[in-house]
Amino acid sequence: MSESLSLMSRMRGRILCGTAALALGAAMPAFADESHYGGTLKLLGVSSEGTLDPMINYTARYWPLFIWTHDGLMAFKKVNGPESAEVVPDLAEDMPVLSNDGKTYTFKLRQGIKFSNGKDLTVEDVVASFQRIFKVSSPTSGSFYNGIVGADKCLAEAATCTLEGGVIGDAATNTITINLVAPDAEFLYKIAVPHASIVPADTITKDAGNEPIPGTGTYAFESYDPNASLIMVRNPHFQEWSKEAQPKGYVDRIEYTFGGTEEAAVNAILNGQADFMYEPVPTDRLAELSVSHPDQLRVSPLVAWWYAPLNVNIAPFNSLEARQAINYAVDRDALVSIFGGPALATPVCTILPPDMPGHVDRCDYTADPGEFWSAPDMDKALELVEASGTKGQKVTVVTDDSVTSRGVGTYLQTVLTDLGYDATVQSISGDIQFTYIQNTNNNVQISVTQWYQDYPAPSNFLNVLFGCDSFTPGSDSSVNMSGICDKGLDDRMKAAMALGSTDQEAALREWGDIDYDFMKLAPAIPMFTPKDVDLISARVGNYEFTSQFHWLVGTAWVQ
Amino acid sequence: MIAAILKRLLRMVVVMFGISVITFLIFFATPASDPAARIAGRNAAQETIEAVRKDFGLDRPLYVQYGLMMEKLFITRDLTSFANRGQQIVPTVMAAAPATLSLVSGAAILWMLGGILTGITAAAFRGRWPDKILMGISMMAVAMPVFWVGEMVNLVTQNRLHDTWAFSWVPALGYTPFSQDPGLWFRSMVFPWLTLAFLYIGLYGRMLRTGIIETYQEDFIRTARAKGLTGRKVLLKHATRSAIIPIVIMFGMDFGVLVGGAAVLTEVVFGINGVGRLTYQALKVLDLPMIMATVLYASFFVVVANAVVDLLCLLIDPRMRRA
Repeated sequence: MSESLSLMSRMRGRILCGTAALALGAAMPAFADESHYGGTLKLLGVSSEGTLDPMINYTARYWPLFIWTHDGLMAFKKVNGPESAEVVPDLAEDMPVLSNDGKTYTFKLRQGIKFSNGKDLTVEDVVASFQRIFKVSSPTSGSFYNGIVGADKCLAEAATCTLEGGVIGDAATNTITINLVAPDAEFLYKIAVPHASIVPADTITKDAGNEPIPGTGTYAFESYDPNASLIMVRNPHFQEWSKEAQPKGYVDRIEYTFGGTEEAAVNAILNGQADFMYEPVPTDRLAELSVSHPDQLRVSPLVAWWYAPLNVNIAPFNSLEARQAINYAVDRDALVSIFGGPALATPVCTILPPDMPGHVDRCDYTADPGEFWSAPDMDKALELVEASGTKGQKVTVVTDDSVTSRGVGTYLQTVLTDLGYDATVQSISGDIQFTYIQNTNNNVQISVTQWYQDYPAPSNFLNVLFGCDSFTPGSDSSVNMSGICDKGLDDRMKAAMALGSTDQEAALREWGDIDYDFMKLAPAIPMFTPKDVDLISARVGNYEFTSQFHWLVGTAWVQ
Repeated sequence: MIAAILKRLLRMVVVMFGISVITFLIFFATPASDPAARIAGRNAAQETIEAVRKDFGLDRPLYVQYGLMMEKLFITRDLTSFANRGQQIVPTVMAAAPATLSLVSGAAILWMLGGILTGITAAAFRGRWPDKILMGISMMAVAMPVFWVGEMVNLVTQNRLHDTWAFSWVPALGYTPFSQDPGLWFRSMVFPWLTLAFLYIGLYGRMLRTGIIETYQEDFIRTARAKGLTGRKVLLKHATRSAIIPIVIMFGMDFGVLVGGAAVLTEVVFGINGVGRLTYQALKVLDLPMIMATVLYASFFVVVANAVVDLLCLLIDPRMRRA
């Protein structure tokens, strides 16, 4: 059901020297002072990242912008901290009414909202927007929205998509009814992400590319040149209707400039020529910055994990003992140091990250099994390798070309060598590695990668990364990189997703157990939970961070 | 004359055709490059990938895809990028070209002037201090990679001494079109020009010095001296004119290659979004249409620059006209 992924697959190595002290992103109180409104926020990016169509773009670079230009029926709360994981009504007036055993959602549309082109928002726009998801082949059309009645037909024949019986608008009562094939506890999350943005009904039904699509948010895109800049200005027709869902932005204008290097971006921010850089701060500058400009660094927790998928279908990791052995042998503390030390990462033993609902602190693969990882158990690991009969086999660790990924890969190589394997590391370009390690034709045995939540539901990690539906041999899009398909666990995951719509508590407990049972099969090595580090200019105030969309650019001020 | 031009044009078409076919084939032989999967997005459902494959014509035979791409690139000129789907390739390359041209032309003027001055001075003072100092500096210039020099320049002008009187006039990195603000254009280009020119001044200076010294051994120089010409006249009018031919040929090649995108390191370091950076970004994200366009653009400039150089040589050296 809910697969998909990784908005936040920003393969971002974030290293910090040793124990350098960093200022933790303390939330400043957000008091509405009129004098803060105005000014221009300047963002920097080494490169742009694709289309400006909110239904198609699936990048961590633009999602945090789309939430300020477009709205869905629901939205994630635009507030600092854990509360930002809650969904609230956005273009819908209220939370939807559920009926038909949780398969029917009825939304009442807010009235008086206008798009940035001046047109009124109507139920017709909402219906057309849901159809458009399929007509433009949105990357998540087959994973987030395939549970809507009529979606199967739309997936087969996009051009004539009507979602008949699935999304029904009633102009007279100003309501929208959405029928699902089966109850889906995550549905409201799925319609709160940018792919379910509501756009005018007459929007072109193919990728709009660089042409901005009118939205209802506090800002509107003014121009976009992927080789130069992206400009956002105030939406002239915006009137704040919900501070939680779509607050009025502080700055008048946001300029996102593309080009240059990370080094240059750091200098520009320190010189006050720019306010924020999207790319991670170069590792060699972080240590220096944590001493010279600690006030400008913000460290925030992420719901993500760095992990090493183990291919369960080819030697040597088709042996359960071999997979368990490497899990016992890996020193998570060493990996944390590679990433930048305890200030920037925490060792993990489970698939669900600590801040993800359903996560339970449990760790078997450690010297002293219990709640947390403590130290590697090399003796046990060596025993298991011996028992697996895989000793001496050749193993290649596939990493991307970032410093951190290579560092982790080299570390895994030493562990594998200590275990008696003939290990090598292969580094490939970060832009290719993520698809390369998915395709079974490339026979990747073990790789280093990371996953960031799309929305705060356990299935977003467990079912997406280890579900049978996510495994397609021979395809570049097969995100179950371990290639594991355990019928029993897969059925339990499907049941847990269904259970979630009636009994959330019980479902979360079950997800915790599924996590534990998956780790018994060891389809991957959980390594650590990373933290996000942002460098901002001295003039930026009211920095707020959400695990869903990272820095909230709209609630920051520059004066 | 017309025959010669036609011959050259034909040769250019053949070269560009070969390059385009090689580019196309290498792309499809790269693992993990399935354009449909990349366009569809991360973890797209298989149905979505198939829909995209059909939509973009990626399910058709390779030679058909190649033909369509060439048609869209040269005839309808509406080829769009795989990575930035709404981005039209031809206008994007055309928009990036002025930035690269500004950078390379300005640097070219500097390095030709600097190189010639260095070469002549060193040759005139051969074996003495000015020669030794100039050759030492030019050896350093050749040895230092341009991206390192660029980063060092940035470190000084944008970071360490940015707020001092010496460099506070240096604007933030990036390119401002000449038409928008000539003053800012000039100020933002000064250090990129110097950085890019530095290497070539060293290279050209050394080459010219060697060339002049070699030419001094020729009979016509002895004749010129026997005629009683002054040392300066011999050096500038006879030796340099002859020794500069290889420099001009090399200049043509370098200029063509740089305008075509080889100035990528300088562009990236100084945040100038020119053709080189465009090529680099396209390669990074495996954007075949953009790779194709920029590679063909680069090869076009190399071929054209070569033709121009041939003409220039005829002008400089009368002996070549006879051949």
